Amino acid sequence: MKYGKLDRSLLENVRAKVQRGLLPQWAFTDPDVFQVELERIFARTWNFLGHESEVARPGDYVTRWIAHDPVLLVRDAEGKVQAYLNSCTHRGTKLCTADFGNKKAFTCPYHGWTFNLAGELTGIVAGNKVYGEEMDRSQWSLRKIPRVESYQGMIFGSLNEHVEPLETFLGDMKWYFDLMLGRSDHGMEVRGIPQRWIIHTNWKISADNFGGDPYHTAMTHRSTVELGISPKDPMYASYGYQIVLDNGHGINIVTRRKDMNVPPFQGLPQDMWPMFERNLDPVQLDVFRNTMITVGNCFPNLSFVSPMHGTGGPDEPLTSFVNFRVWRPLTPTSIEVTSWLMVDKDAPEAFKEASYLSYVGSFGPAGTLEQDDAEIWTRVAEASQGWMTQDKDVHYNNVLNYLMGLDRVEPDPSWPGPGVAYPTCYLDAISRAFYERWIECLLDDAI
Amino acid sequence: MHYDDICRFLYTEASLLDARKYEEWLDLLDDNIRYRMPLRATRDFKDPCDIVNDMTFFDETKQSLRTRVERLRTTSAWAENPHTRTRHVVTNILVTGENGPDEATVQSYVLILRSIRDKPDVEQLFGERIDVIRRVDGALKLVERTVHPDQTVLSMLNLSIFV
Repeated sequence: MKYGKLDRSLLENVRAKVQRGLLPQWAFTDPDVFQVELERIFARTWNFLGHESEVARPGDYVTRWIAHDPVLLVRDAEGKVQAYLNSCTHRGTKLCTADFGNKKAFTCPYHGWTFNLAGELTGIVAGNKVYGEEMDRSQWSLRKIPRVESYQGMIFGSLNEHVEPLETFLGDMKWYFDLMLGRSDHGMEVRGIPQRWIIHTNWKISADNFGGDPYHTAMTHRSTVELGISPKDPMYASYGYQIVLDNGHGINIVTRRKDMNVPPFQGLPQDMWPMFERNLDPVQLDVFRNTMITVGNCFPNLSFVSPMHGTGGPDEPLTSFVNFRVWRPLTPTSIEVTSWLMVDKDAPEAFKEASYLSYVGSFGPAGTLEQDDAEIWTRVAEASQGWMTQDKDVHYNNVLNYLMGLDRVEPDPSWPGPGVAYPTCYLDAISRAFYERWIECLLDDAI
Repeated sequence: MHYDDICRFLYTEASLLDARKYEEWLDLLDDNIRYRMPLRATRDFKDPCDIVNDMTFFDETKQSLRTRVERLRTTSAWAENPHTRTRHVVTNILVTGENGPDEATVQSYVLILRSIRDKPDVEQLFGERIDVIRRVDGALKLVERTVHPDQTVLSMLNLSIFV
């Protein structure tokens, strides 16, 4: 294979560097890398589409994207979730332009072809008069996204019919998804609709930030330390475990420390604790009891954060929330963020409201934490497009530093959960695993 | 309430925001202000309501707005360090309701033009605002603001500003 200046030996050279904790800076912004990513990552792997609560009733639909493929996600008349390419089979018009709603059928505005919830072509304007009875309508159903599977209410789609089962792909991440999504009797629900906005950065920069970079909090979010909202100790986000999972996934669990006076179960209402005992196994329960913050990334571009945050001054109570977001790759240097706030269906209304306010105050484009992330991620992309950083022959030592903890921090075998757990969150182990998976995908010309 | 007073109030507010005189801006807000910016959605023709109130970009009280201002005054609020430059263009001001002589519901259009560092691009945010303005002890105060952005996908990277 050859894309522009990219060839196999160059990518193998990148792999060797990544394994030594070095990432060529051009990996963020090179247009050829971006094209290969579309083909060998996004078109082949599982992509998060939405949560089952967003399409709860028959006829409910939302429109989403897998990179540049428009997706129509619907609950059909039998109650099954379906995902179609959101493009009419006649002339290719985008079929459904609404973000969400409820319908019995979708009619194309171009010539009036109509499809039911099962994707079948049920109506053609002047059908038999113009096409005759010989045109087999069943051949012109909406094109299905080849694979659609879900776990804990999280619906994923893949454009690759040969992709491994979703649960195999998620692997040990399932165990940690359970803590966030499967702890209550009736699971989670999306509050309202997801926030969406554009950031001029590369999708890997934000995925890497959520996946493996609690180290940034002390400086990027220093304003909250100055305000007295976050602890002064620059190591505060390091206390816990960085857990490297298979397939490029990773999660950081910042744990409760006795001197911090943080309530168990992220401050979730005590009435909910018996549910956690019912729905989590004893090891999960114990880990979740002592969890303060979880933050991580599900390869390639589904990130999540579940912190405890207040909106007022230092004396305000901290409230947790569960936030998932997709960094949709638009160009090498732009992403569309789609960010869902999820809350336990069984939580008391007062908690749901507090959790929502905690999220809106700290994350999303106006969030006091995320405002600064977005600005800094754009600065990375901005400084990664010139001659020196794009040079492939490494005349300029143009590699970035992912050395933290390499050959220095050993896994902690006493960690009770799955994955390879290191006893600190200030570590580049997840980032290295993320980029190793990334370069393996780019090198994989099996299909 | 005189229309001129309402216009002067909104223009003064815009001027304080663009000059980043946030403490003076806070003084224009009633202590019980509810300041919200719900999401806009693209809906089907038969679903006329395209505002989603259950999710917002801002849902603030006076206290949380004050915290936001204090954060912008730290040395490390990087989104505004160096600070971005804005113009709040406020137009089409209509009084849509009156509640006695001292309270009015006011609709206005807002177009925020924003310049970031040395980038030549213009960042824009635009929509309508529905405000409740009340005369308290002789001075006008903003009691409620609801911003309805027109974009369903914001093209601004962040909202480290006030709308």
